[in-house]
Amino acid sequence: MADLGALGTLLGLAFFQRSLLGGAIAALACAAVGVFVLLRKQAMVGHGIAHVSFGGVAVGKYMVVAGAFVGAAETFPIYTALVAAVAGMWLVTWMRRRGVAGSDAGIGLITAVGFAIGLVVISAAGGFNRDILSYLFGDVTTIGAQDLVVSAVLGAVILAFFGVFYKEMLSMTFDEESARLTGVPVRALSVAFDLLVAFTIVLSIKVVGIVLVSALVVLPGLGAFQFRLSFRGTMVAAMALAVVSVVVGILLSALYPVATGGLIILVATAMLGACAAWVRLGDERDGAAAG
Amino acid sequence: MTTATMGTKGTDASKAGPKAPAVDVRGVDIARDGELAISGATFAIEQGDYVGIVGPNGGGKTTLVQGFLGLLPLARGEVRLFGTPVGQFRDWSRVGYVAQNATAFDPSFPLTVRELVALGRVRREVLGRPLTSEDWARVEDALLLMDIKDVERRRVGHLSGGQKQRVFVAKALVRSPDLLILDEPATGVDAEAQERFYGLLGNVNAQRGTTVVMVSHDLATVFCRMSKVVCVNREVHVSPITPEMDEGALLRKVYGEHFTFVFHRHECAYDGVEGVAHRHG
Repeated sequence: MADLGALGTLLGLAFFQRSLLGGAIAALACAAVGVFVLLRKQAMVGHGIAHVSFGGVAVGKYMVVAGAFVGAAETFPIYTALVAAVAGMWLVTWMRRRGVAGSDAGIGLITAVGFAIGLVVISAAGGFNRDILSYLFGDVTTIGAQDLVVSAVLGAVILAFFGVFYKEMLSMTFDEESARLTGVPVRALSVAFDLLVAFTIVLSIKVVGIVLVSALVVLPGLGAFQFRLSFRGTMVAAMALAVVSVVVGILLSALYPVATGGLIILVATAMLGACAAWVRLGDERDGAAAG
Repeated sequence: MTTATMGTKGTDASKAGPKAPAVDVRGVDIARDGELAISGATFAIEQGDYVGIVGPNGGGKTTLVQGFLGLLPLARGEVRLFGTPVGQFRDWSRVGYVAQNATAFDPSFPLTVRELVALGRVRREVLGRPLTSEDWARVEDALLLMDIKDVERRRVGHLSGGQKQRVFVAKALVRSPDLLILDEPATGVDAEAQERFYGLLGNVNAQRGTTVVMVSHDLATVFCRMSKVVCVNREVHVSPITPEMDEGALLRKVYGEHFTFVFHRHECAYDGVEGVAHRHG
């Protein structure tokens, strides 16, 4: 049975506070990026970038094990993951622009290639055992003080970007040609957005893991869409759903000894289901009242 | 107003003065997919005109409009907007454009009427800054002018065809353009909504002095409401609309010898919309 007293004790511990804070930052970033990713019909992009990040993590780990960069062993794989994620995002866009592969095919390609690189590097290094699992499946309890600083900085950059370029991003997402005609720097903002997608995925990996991170990008936005709100309302609702999912997931996993990443995604899925059902029941009520 | 031809304005036309034509087309050829789609077009749209562009399907109406806007390269000749060659024209806030497919968007896109119209105020000068109270006042004006104030909080995807069309015109109008170009905005809209739409545009033209140019299939409306007609079928024939004109002869030049257009000017209905009174060139 769940022990609420133990939960109270946990809330006072620094590592648990870091889990909640790091999780909430990742949730906000994922929700904001997710709404745009869904509207740009790139729902799977998070999945692809996460797998490329896995390759980056493996390379980073390998370099640490091989003796390079001994000083920053703890966070070093995050930086290599970031470089890999940005490179992966750039590759998808480049292949689309040059007609090599459409967005969906490009994402499929980097998903496999990123993961393949990770597997090869890990096996060459003789395996990193448990540590690599925390990247694959997430482990909020391993968010260290340095990780949190990196998360906070990336999270602030992401949210500030959407705060500042809100109307331009909306304009070009709705109608790119018309946005270009009105003087929106579409090309520059697209590049910036790609970078932010990469940042978001990397800062979320420790929370839900590489395998599940795309769900944290997609589910809050999908849930928010159910309410048929204004754009601003949709954005706020997505962020609220994401934060609630992550916080509830972490608290539940403190009460019951099950995987946090999995719980977070299940909570987010349950909330999507609840939103969809609630809105549709409301429609039926209105229909019955009108009829 | 005369049938404007090349050089009628003399030296004035070369300056960006207030009297320069809104659109000045001089000896223009435009190619599309390797074929000549517009040949030897020469005419002017004066500021304050209400112009209908008509012609058979595939005759080059959209091509001509895209040529005005510099969206398609000219094979020959020159287009000037407000006296400035289109290639050097930078004052795009003076031009509002609603493309043929503007209303074909994902209906589930989370965007209200008010939010969409406000996107019309997005421009380079306010990059990364919130819209000002002045911007929102213009949004308010455009909502009222296009009679969509009552649906401002509704999602654009949930509107009728006629409402969507007015929302997109409001998005163009919110920039307070001197020239408003609409490419077949009435496609897929019922007759009543269309009539109302043309009435509202007539108001914009009459009250604000906005030059309105519209590609239209509705010949009766063009001849009832507008001040000038541009007939396009590769060749371009332009005429002011007057009670004395021979519409049939003009239209046969582009629709072919066997085209008949039964039109009784006295049957033009103005449905009581103020300020829509027909303006004779």
